Amino acid sequence: MSEPLVFWMGQFAAELPTDRLYSKNHFWAIDQGSGRFRFGFSAYAVRLLQDIYFLEFSVEPGMAIESRQEIGSIESKKAESGLYAPSSGMLEAINPEVLRDPGAINVDKYGDGWLMELSSVDPQPLLHVERYCAHLAEAWEVAQRTIKGQANA
Amino acid sequence: MPSNPTTSRRLTVVISQGQSRNPQKREVEETIAARAILGRRIDAVVIPHLYDLAADSESFQRLRKIDGPMVVLGWLFPRAIHWVLDRQGIRGQFGDVELKDPSEEEEDLEDEAEETVAEDAQEHVADQFPRPDRNIYCLDLKIRPSADAFLEEIERIARLELEGTGTTDAQERFQQPTNQTALAIDGSGRLSLDPAASQMPDEAPVAHQDALLVIDEHPQRRWYPVIDFSRCTNCMECIDFCLFGVYGVDAAQTILVEQPDNCRKGCPACSRVCPANAIIFPQHKTPAIAGAQVDSGGFKIDLSKLFGAPDRDEDPLAAAARERDEQLILAGRAAVGLNADQPEEAPKISPAPAATASASPPASKDALDSLIDQLDQMDL
Repeated sequence: MSEPLVFWMGQFAAELPTDRLYSKNHFWAIDQGSGRFRFGFSAYAVRLLQDIYFLEFSVEPGMAIESRQEIGSIESKKAESGLYAPSSGMLEAINPEVLRDPGAINVDKYGDGWLMELSSVDPQPLLHVERYCAHLAEAWEVAQRTIKGQANA
Repeated sequence: MPSNPTTSRRLTVVISQGQSRNPQKREVEETIAARAILGRRIDAVVIPHLYDLAADSESFQRLRKIDGPMVVLGWLFPRAIHWVLDRQGIRGQFGDVELKDPSEEEEDLEDEAEETVAEDAQEHVADQFPRPDRNIYCLDLKIRPSADAFLEEIERIARLELEGTGTTDAQERFQQPTNQTALAIDGSGRLSLDPAASQMPDEAPVAHQDALLVIDEHPQRRWYPVIDFSRCTNCMECIDFCLFGVYGVDAAQTILVEQPDNCRKGCPACSRVCPANAIIFPQHKTPAIAGAQVDSGGFKIDLSKLFGAPDRDEDPLAAAARERDEQLILAGRAAVGLNADQPEEAPKISPAPAATASASPPASKDALDSLIDQLDQMDL
């Protein structure tokens, strides 16, 4: 595997492995063949969230999911967010490990800390790592404004 | 009732019921009411959800007659409970509650120093018009699944308020919580919820049969802002912003929620423009707006937008303007956007450092965290 790309979030280096695709809402996606993808959070997402201690899905395996559909929620010590589907597809599996201990995402975000698997995935919204990195350059500005806006609110 | 004046001081436990008839909630409420009155000199009043009650409701009329210490339990954040009551003339000081939301306790300790330093940067309404010197202890029933912990806390408060001996014991209990229900007797003469501990015949449980008052009212659900006057600086941003005539001023030119029922259901816009975070909508889904203790670690940054929530890239002021427009249109009026005579725009969007510090110092400091500290090093 080639060297990961790095996106700098201030002083923090978010590493982006080149062996997979990414969604604009910060999931990575590994093609497992036949239109089935495994998804997890990118280093950028994990850095924004930091210590994750709560993860809940509102959907179950066997359900068809629309792109950007709200599929659950996630909470860390300092932040919270809804979970929004990175693409459309059929939910095949949710990683029982991260349900049991969401901290697994912090420990191994690109490996054992995967989140879910979808089949019949529409690959169209998924980006190659270079394009994701370029997207982050724009998203980072918005992220900073969002966080600062709320912190000052 | 004993006539001895030293034993005539009583503690009132008020239980504000949930809006739904959820049986689990009802059981918690009923257990607390039934067991609290087993304590000597404790009365209990069960009222409907206090946020829904009208000013002339029987519940508020009863509560206004009580001038002793109170413990008020409800399905609301403690700040919301306190200031709903305050608005209804049931006023007092914040009683120090030791039963906290487990997820917030850790951070409370960290933040105390900061809070002390940050306070008094600006004059608040409650400083100008001090509330009576009696304690009102507010407890959010959501923070524990069963009645036991609440009963234990009530017992601690009762000892403190009625016998002045709560502190040491309470601290021990705080450090070494037990799973007992506080019904145990220790024989040391401290107040106990166990009827067997009552030694005076006139204080035996039989004397307490009328200590429980259940007020049977059925108010409609309401939606209106509640002002936290310990934060409000009387800056008048809210009265300028709200175009539905909810706000007014009293004879002393202090802001008040004059026409609560003019408020538009679901609309929290004014709370977003309040520079002091003083406006609470107790039923709003966002904890910071519903009265969570944003300055003690309960505040969380919402990253939903960044993770793909339906796109609304807006700051709090833009959100407020949008929400106001939605309500104006629903009311058959014209949307005004951001440009409706708002001098508040400047301070909200890019607060000067001093303004930020005085508006919500602990919140900004807290939420900033290491992540934001890093962001601060970036050029925006």
